[in-house]
Amino acid sequence: MAPGLTEATAADLAAAALELARHYAAGATMWCLAPEWPEHGRHVAVEFVHPVVIGKRALPAVAVESNDPVAALRELTRPGDVLLVVGTRDAARVRSALQRAAVWGLTSIWIGAGPRPDPGAADHVLWVDDDRSGWTAPYDGRLVARYHLLWELAHVCFEHPGLLTTRDPACDDEVCVTCSDEGVLAEVVTEHAGGTTVRSARGTETIDTGLVGPVVPGDLVLVHAGTAISRVDDERS
Amino acid sequence: MSEGTDFLYPFIEGDERDAGSLLVDLADSARAKSNVGAALRTATLDRERDALERVGREMARRFERGGTLFTFGNGGSSTDAASVAALFAHPPDGSPALRARCLVDDSAILTALANDVGFELVFARQLAAHSTADDIALGVSTSGDSRNLAVAFADAAARGLLTVGLAGYEGGAMAQSADVRHCLVVRSDSVHRVQETQAALAFELWRAVHRALADG
Repeated sequence: MAPGLTEATAADLAAAALELARHYAAGATMWCLAPEWPEHGRHVAVEFVHPVVIGKRALPAVAVESNDPVAALRELTRPGDVLLVVGTRDAARVRSALQRAAVWGLTSIWIGAGPRPDPGAADHVLWVDDDRSGWTAPYDGRLVARYHLLWELAHVCFEHPGLLTTRDPACDDEVCVTCSDEGVLAEVVTEHAGGTTVRSARGTETIDTGLVGPVVPGDLVLVHAGTAISRVDDERS
Repeated sequence: MSEGTDFLYPFIEGDERDAGSLLVDLADSARAKSNVGAALRTATLDRERDALERVGREMARRFERGGTLFTFGNGGSSTDAASVAALFAHPPDGSPALRARCLVDDSAILTALANDVGFELVFARQLAAHSTADDIALGVSTSGDSRNLAVAFADAAARGLLTVGLAGYEGGAMAQSADVRHCLVVRSDSVHRVQETQAALAFELWRAVHRALADG
């Protein structure tokens, strides 16, 4: 009845599992968000915290259930954490959380079904592509199977500790697209006499926002060389 | 272990190659597990096809009388129970909504009962408070041995509810219990594959209920 995984989907799962295991090895917490199906967020969290297979380690995972997940995650997450979302492509709360995840230095994993999101919408997209009806996968076990496999594969990775400490070679270079000053997405924290404090994947810094005009906490701006050079639309608006 | 130019970048190259073979193994493992799951799903749905129609008809009669579906389970099964209740109560395809509620949704009630009367009674006491003889109790367990489900089924059966169980392995105590009128078993010893297939069974049960309601 249900066809097996395609090679591409299996490769996506493998890459996501290895990256998740690496983040866990470095002390990450995984935040699980599923606004449309909160039960799936809870299932992921209990899977990791209290494994069904005896002897597997308990890992920190938290289901985030909030009417304003961006506000909740803003306070809870730390750079290096993982945001796992279960949701459809067009779920507004999912999209805004994923946009912020990049700003806050989180690695994102997006599990869903139906129309596939655009490439790059999350660091890892684990999609059920063969949900022809477009809505049954969250209820017929196929979505559950995606995060079960993620858990199973991540625990295989823990049997290879030597591979869990590898840093991304791209970030060891002196100039790296992600970490350099070429233009970093940042979120406004506060405005004060000395400038504007913003938060980005590289931490907190004070910048000049004169070029983009008045800003309020939560606004997204692109920062280059200590200056906000443009505004970035919120996914929610 | 290194060949060619690998000696120039022993750490990076060595790591990349090793991670590469791990990634291949992981992907192979994912596909193998997925195939096991697909085969289990097909075999289980085939075996339980008649039972699903029968249970669907009995549940439909309860809904026609104004009955409510109460679902419950522990841990991952509690979230699967919540998913079943959500499907019945809020079908995304526009099918008629049916009264359904999951008994694990309120942590105040769960912790009050667990603290005051014991975890065995967390579902039975809620059924005592809410249910009537027109209702349906659907419990989900991978082992089939969860004590609080057994107690809830005993209470539900005594009150005249229709009792339906979803179990794994060989069905556990649930499959032997006279309090469980219908026990659908996913015959596997992998908790993950059991849960995935239980969801498939519950989904087919929902469809069977709507077929029976349409047939009248």
